[in-house]
Amino acid sequence: MSNALTIFRREFSAYFNSPIAYIFIIVFLILNCGLFMTPFFLQGNADMRDFFGNLPLFLIFFIPAVSMRLWAEDKSNGTFELLMTLPMKSSEVMFGKYFAAMAFYCIALLGTLPIPLMLMMLGNPDLGAIFGGYIGAILLGGLYMSVGIFTSGLLKDQITAFILGMLACFALFLIGIPAVSATIDGWFSGFGSFLQNAFGLMPHYQSLQRGVLDISDLLYFVTLTGAFLVMNTYWLEGRKY
Amino acid sequence: MIEVRNVTKTFGPTVALNDVSFSLRQGEILGFLGPNGAGKSTAMKIITTFLAADSGSVRVDGIDVMADPLKVRSLIGYLPENNPLYVDMLVSEYLKFVGQARGLSGNQLKQRTEWVIESCGIKSVLHKSINELSKGYKQRTGLAQALIHDPEILILDEPTSGLDPLQIIGIRELIHSLAKKKTIIFSTHILQEVAPVTDRVVIINNGNIIADGMIDDLQKQAMETNRLFVTINSPDAGNGLSDLEGVESVIELGNNRFEVRAPFDLDLRNDIVALSHQNSWQLLEIQEALFSLEDTFIALNQNSGGKVVDYV
Repeated sequence: MSNALTIFRREFSAYFNSPIAYIFIIVFLILNCGLFMTPFFLQGNADMRDFFGNLPLFLIFFIPAVSMRLWAEDKSNGTFELLMTLPMKSSEVMFGKYFAAMAFYCIALLGTLPIPLMLMMLGNPDLGAIFGGYIGAILLGGLYMSVGIFTSGLLKDQITAFILGMLACFALFLIGIPAVSATIDGWFSGFGSFLQNAFGLMPHYQSLQRGVLDISDLLYFVTLTGAFLVMNTYWLEGRKY
Repeated sequence: MIEVRNVTKTFGPTVALNDVSFSLRQGEILGFLGPNGAGKSTAMKIITTFLAADSGSVRVDGIDVMADPLKVRSLIGYLPENNPLYVDMLVSEYLKFVGQARGLSGNQLKQRTEWVIESCGIKSVLHKSINELSKGYKQRTGLAQALIHDPEILILDEPTSGLDPLQIIGIRELIHSLAKKKTIIFSTHILQEVAPVTDRVVIINNGNIIADGMIDDLQKQAMETNRLFVTINSPDAGNGLSDLEGVESVIELGNNRFEVRAPFDLDLRNDIVALSHQNSWQLLEIQEALFSLEDTFIALNQNSGGKVVDYV
């Protein structure tokens, strides 16, 4: 545990050792809030549905950009060898890195809190839906991040890790969309629906967005995230041979 | 302390290590020599548990590296090739990070940090970003990282590469000062760097160990003839030298300078002085051609059927 914490501190401060962290956060806030605020005053609804609705697509770009450096940077500048010869398990290093990236994402997310505060002043929003939305945003980000850290572990080059992570997240997003699963069903009967039910993230995300905390949705996110993290660790261990 | 037995490691079709065995006692320093790409780094990576061998076994302090890699790692201080560092950190932050990652905390961390700062001479750059350091200071920071947990074993992969002569001497002295207490393996492809630090060398080429022993013994093993360079101010000197007992051949090099070859165990210098004295020749030079580590390496390499390819 203390090992993971040591790595966490190093990785978390690494984000803020360069201006990139601030640029990421500013871009995240400007784009998200901008996309949300433009129609907000036209519609006049005191809810954040549009905000959370934009996230699955937006995070496909944002999260892999945060996660791409996690292993690829260490691999390209050699510190990977340093990490892998420290007296700690690969999984501890991995958790330290993963949670550091998640903490960074959560800070970006914290920056959007003025929106619900503003809604509370302007009207009477459904706080349950907003709370569920934020839980969904964290779980969704966590899943994308696990995909991102996995692709970063495969590669030496950050840009390739970013693109591969983005594609993988996009695939997870797409197979959960009814139109896509219907098309796949047209090619291989039943396969599209199977993919949608088993791996598609949109159905699970949308129910969280409505403020419904269903155990099956939580399980979906936690299991899939865990699976990518386990694969990541196995890859690191298997690299030795 | 370190026992490498019949280790083979391949990367695809490339054989990086071919049935390599050597061992190291506690407190011994081993110079690991070989051209670039010989397999030195691979061997070090296997000892430090970064890579796993295809076959064979490695034991560090009696512990198999595959059975308990974390224990082995805690015994070893490792400076990998090219000295990787987190360049975005300050030197002090970096040492704290590695110290904590090595399980140090509180007073112990403080004491050890002070010790490595002192012994590696990095006090003046402590609050600088690693990015801004000169190569020499980067290397010292890398060494400080390897030493912070006071490891029993030090594995240094090319610790002096790319440093200027003064910096090399500094690193050499540091290794010397650690020598009594620690078991050290350091690799280099520069032969002159080995002799001042240690007597024991393992020479590796194309994944095979071609020599393992004391430098003196290896030189003798590699050396077949004893060569002397003699300059005598007389046209008859060549004939006179060839007539000396035991001389195998005399080669005239021009300007009255000769190369005299004799069996390895025969010292001709006295005889040459006496000869010049008898004939009233002016003897200007007698120089023994020292069989250098380079010659040793090349000779051993040829004996083993290998080619010295990218050796500079």
